[in-house]
Amino acid sequence: MIEALRLFAAFVRVAVHREVAYRANLVAQTVQSVVGLGTALGGLAVVFAHTATLAGWPPSELVALVGVFQMVGGAIGFAIQPAMQRLMEEVRTGALDFTLLQPADSQVLVSVREVSVYRLTDVALGAALLGAALARLGARLGPGRIAAFTLALAAGGAVVYAVWLALATCAFWWVRVDNVLVIFETLYDAGRWPVSIYPGWLRGALTFLIPVALATSVPVEALTGALRGRTLALAAVVAAAALVLSRLLWRAGLRAYSGASG
Amino acid sequence: MASRRDAPAGPAPVVVASGLTRLYAVSEREAGLAAALRSVLRRSVRQVRAVDGVTFEVGPGEIVGFLGPNGAGKTTTLKMLAGLLHPTEGRAEVLGHAPAERRPEFLRQITLVTGQRSQLQWDIPAADSFELHRAVYRIPPARYRRILADLDAMLDLGPLLGKPVRNLSLGERMKCEVAAALLHEPRVLFLDEPTLGLDVVAQRRIRSFLADYNRRTGATILLTSHYMADVQALCRRVIVIHHGRLLFDGLLEALAGRLLPHKVIVVQPSDPAADLRPYGEVTERAPGEVTLRVPRAAAPAVAARILAEVAVDDVSILDPPIEDVVEQIFSAGRAPESGAGLRP
Amino acid sequence: MKEGGRLAQGPGTVPLAGAARSLWDVYRAEFRTSVAVQMQYRAAQLIWLLGTVLGPVVYLAVWSAVAAASGGTVGGYDRHTFAAYYLTLMLVNQVTFTWIMYEFQGRIREGSFTPLILRPVHPIHGDVADNLAHKALTLAVLLPTAAALAVAFRPAFRGLPPLDALLLLPSLVLAFVLRFAVEWTLALAAFWTVRTSALNGLYEGVLLFLSGQVAPLPLLPQPLRALADVLPFRFMVAFPVSLAVGRPLPAAAVLGLSAQALWAAAAVAALLVVWRAAVRRYAAVGG
Repeated sequence: MIEALRLFAAFVRVAVHREVAYRANLVAQTVQSVVGLGTALGGLAVVFAHTATLAGWPPSELVALVGVFQMVGGAIGFAIQPAMQRLMEEVRTGALDFTLLQPADSQVLVSVREVSVYRLTDVALGAALLGAALARLGARLGPGRIAAFTLALAAGGAVVYAVWLALATCAFWWVRVDNVLVIFETLYDAGRWPVSIYPGWLRGALTFLIPVALATSVPVEALTGALRGRTLALAAVVAAAALVLSRLLWRAGLRAYSGASG
Repeated sequence: MASRRDAPAGPAPVVVASGLTRLYAVSEREAGLAAALRSVLRRSVRQVRAVDGVTFEVGPGEIVGFLGPNGAGKTTTLKMLAGLLHPTEGRAEVLGHAPAERRPEFLRQITLVTGQRSQLQWDIPAADSFELHRAVYRIPPARYRRILADLDAMLDLGPLLGKPVRNLSLGERMKCEVAAALLHEPRVLFLDEPTLGLDVVAQRRIRSFLADYNRRTGATILLTSHYMADVQALCRRVIVIHHGRLLFDGLLEALAGRLLPHKVIVVQPSDPAADLRPYGEVTERAPGEVTLRVPRAAAPAVAARILAEVAVDDVSILDPPIEDVVEQIFSAGRAPESGAGLRP
Repeated sequence: MKEGGRLAQGPGTVPLAGAARSLWDVYRAEFRTSVAVQMQYRAAQLIWLLGTVLGPVVYLAVWSAVAAASGGTVGGYDRHTFAAYYLTLMLVNQVTFTWIMYEFQGRIREGSFTPLILRPVHPIHGDVADNLAHKALTLAVLLPTAAALAVAFRPAFRGLPPLDALLLLPSLVLAFVLRFAVEWTLALAAFWTVRTSALNGLYEGVLLFLSGQVAPLPLLPQPLRALADVLPFRFMVAFPVSLAVGRPLPAAAVLGLSAQALWAAAAVAALLVVWRAAVRRYAAVGG
């Protein structure tokens, strides 16, 4: 874990080094982040012009949800998506050979070595929005809820990472899978609304298949106290299982890549 | 100075391949919709033997050249030795490790350079890629600076390191690739076509650098190349692989006479109908270009005669491509033979 | 390279009938090629479709929840009329959407625009044919999907009065022309800057609200609604949808169609002007 953070820091340093030269990208990304946030908040404004609560969620909680949605989306765009895209690219071109010959855990290496620095604007904006929403929720926030939120967010993040890695690992068997990642992005968009508003089949898909809800709705429910301890424990178990499964899948993918039997 | 393979009672080998075999499953399908549907149910898979029972050893400090036509199994062999491919049968051992386990302590001591692919990131300067390399290989800063200074002195990297890799010429990029591959001072170098596509000056530069590196560090080098000149400049010992089998393992000079008895003369006659058969064996006839094979020693004289007697636009004398020669010598199922100096 | 192609040429250089016939040939050829190319990427096409389907479903779920919280109806809509609105919107959106703004980024970056500019046919025709090919191919999956969603959400369609049915087809065609012209024109921004993604994001955000995707336009709060009324975006999606599921007065329908036609004409005119400028720019900068 420490090793992973050390490598991650090195790769982020180089990425920052590279990106400061393109400050116009920062402007472009900021515009996009603000537009994204504006769209989400505008949607809320339209909806709450007609109702006081949505599926039991008052406006301030939905604003918190938008904040978490933006944060998690930004974190994915910052660290997970670029690394996984590069992984698939390298499987296709064969450049993964060089990565596999480096003396570090290959899964850690492919997971940390590419970042899009400017997507951090989404993380910052989302965090600011979340902070504002929390200020309105105010006194009801105890340390217990903060801890539950942190745990839920970590679990959600772990699950999202595991799903991305699993999708990208498919490249070892079917070389052209870039588009599979679009599935995640498309479904992730549904995460800006409480998952409880969706019909059963979609709710199931967002909870179990591509578990977007674990990274968005569930952490916010932890904040607002709507989350039962059992659900939180379940989320933690699911996260651990997802990490283990993605690790196994990664190993199997590598074996397929290098042609080992069994 | 590294001990060479002809030293008496050499030390333990660095690289061991013993009955090394690699099969590829190739799925086959006939054209057509019916065949496509059938293949959904039952895929017919054919096993291709890319490498077939290859056995050899390489001692510390040796530079060994792998020769063989395209698809002979050279790259597959290198990949098994580097740990990228699991052998289907047989055993590979490098520095006492089974390569395919890819243990960090093994990976820290080897490197792979291929002329076809880049390990440097396209969009950032090579210096940044080097920095990442340093982090991944955990090279202490002081040692890193010393190594980089050495590499800079030998390869003249200075002006290249700050430019994004995509803006470098192929030759410049290759210098950076080689430098990146050596930052962690590997003891075993796997070089797969390291000079592919480079101009003659750049080829010579890389070659002399590798020879120098081998002399200074005693590193062991396994090399495949299209260019006879690479092999001649660097390797005393060559291993010939053809159709996945080891056909020859011995000193280059033992092979050279057999390998290069001919030169190739390429003539562009001004008159396309010109008959060049009196000057040598015509091996190829393209529009406006005729290729002749002549005995090595006679080549200059024949070329001079052609220049004097035939109206030509251009004449050039070339070494025959390794592929052709190996194919020619070892074709038709000739039994494998061993040259002098073969390791016991 | 001064003239972009046939669209930019004045009338009279080619007899009109001959020009139409050769353009038809261009379309047939482009369409065939596009179908062949896109068949190679069937999986990708299906995955794209997921976005087409999921967007309306999300907002349908939102508004169904709002209706449920407000005792069954919001602004005259209930679950079933929302379902009718969003399922129709999904189909209309599928008819009119383009991906051209993203395609242009790549074209300029990779320099694949140069051969397009040198051809004696305006490049927009190839893009239109490509777009139509994608839609023809995906319709085979989209229609069953829509039917399945209809079973799940039970939309309340009303019988379409003959006049509206008559107007629906031209309004769909005009919506396609309008949206294609606007997005193709905006895509030309790639000739001036490499970072068009911010512009694309901004446009998509505006389109989301003002074309009736976030909510049926009558449900928008006041400043937004006034904006939607005066801007052309509603004619790209919301207007054909309202013809299909709303109850517009005949006069309003005809008036709307006229306004839609005017916007479409204006957009095509803008396209021609900006295209000339873009080609001049391309020639000056050298690509």
